[in-house]
Amino acid sequence: MLKQILNKFLILNDVQAAIVIQENGEIIESMKSGIVINEGLQEVLSTIMLDSKKTAAQFGNASLSMFFVEFSDYFLILGPVMEEFYLAIIAKNTANIGQITYEMKKNQDAIVSLL
Amino acid sequence: MIDQLPEGKSIGWMQAPPQWIFSHTVRFVGVVHVVIQDGEGFILIKKGKPLIYYFKHGRIELRGHAALDYFNSQPTIEFNLCKYTPEEFSQALKICNVEKTGPETPDMRRKAPDEPAQAEVVEKPTEQLPVISRPEQPPPVLPERPEPVRQIPVTKPAASVPKRILIPQPAVLEEPDIKIIGQIKKLNGIVAISVFNDDRNILLMGDVEIEPLLKIARTMLATTNKITPHLDWGSLVHMTLQIPEGNVIIAPYHENHLCILTTRTINIGHIRRILRDLQQDRSQGVIL
Repeated sequence: MLKQILNKFLILNDVQAAIVIQENGEIIESMKSGIVINEGLQEVLSTIMLDSKKTAAQFGNASLSMFFVEFSDYFLILGPVMEEFYLAIIAKNTANIGQITYEMKKNQDAIVSLL
Repeated sequence: MIDQLPEGKSIGWMQAPPQWIFSHTVRFVGVVHVVIQDGEGFILIKKGKPLIYYFKHGRIELRGHAALDYFNSQPTIEFNLCKYTPEEFSQALKICNVEKTGPETPDMRRKAPDEPAQAEVVEKPTEQLPVISRPEQPPPVLPERPEPVRQIPVTKPAASVPKRILIPQPAVLEEPDIKIIGQIKKLNGIVAISVFNDDRNILLMGDVEIEPLLKIARTMLATTNKITPHLDWGSLVHMTLQIPEGNVIIAPYHENHLCILTTRTINIGHIRRILRDLQQDRSQGVIL
């Protein structure tokens, strides 16, 4: 069921991976296309989850709404789903970020209900 | 006297140590409007050479060394660089009663900040000017300044504000860079923009406390340094952290970094395009 929801992201233009991941680095579910989720990528996701939460807390204990890192070829968007669970989307830089963030918000409740 | 000066063409409001002005105005002809707490003043500059220093706080007027000392006593000051045409500059000289060949304050830049200069107080002050203490209230908003924007609360660092100014390194930003930064600052939803490096803040435009913001920017920079070796995704364009109040964006800028603080309503797509363009210009060797 979770795969079906993640597939909604994968059918978006130039999206390469949709991953539900726990703060400890454990991947709960993922859908990918043309990208390998290796240890290095898992480490990146873990680092981002921990660091972004800590950094957001420096703004008077603000909660993290979204984290976005863009390189010249790919970008990664990470949003908290619930407590220690996050949704990460990896896409080529030609992907439509507005559409991705819209789908993230739209599908958040459905993902929560499956965790 | 301030009101009589020609308006000139504003390059933008910024915040930096006073010494920054002298090291970044080698080709600048115009006036630097300075605002410190409830007072305001100006420095008339011709190609890096300050001709007049003036500051007014209530009934107290400071000129020359006294005004310069007061500027130098501030860790950072807010100022607006306004370029003059030759006609405007001549008019400003007349208003300030400056002979074209004889500046009122010759080459004050070389004076060490903690070396007291001879005071030239026009009216004897009835109260001591607050030289080092920071304002309790933000400086008054002048009519020509950019619209005030909602400030994202930033927790203050434990470290206290340094009491003496830091002399910046030789010029690191050219006038076109300042223009670009100023243009970004003018975009809707931009609260503040800073150019910083590993050691210090180089330039700040916007009404925020720089140290807490820099601390956050450096934390984000540390995150990029940790993740970049694991990713073969090309060069970093930007990193954006979104919280309910707004966004913090960091991006490479020449050998330095940009930190942009925005409201939540900002058009992220627009900012992305600008940051990408800046980096493309850089990779194509275009001098900004």
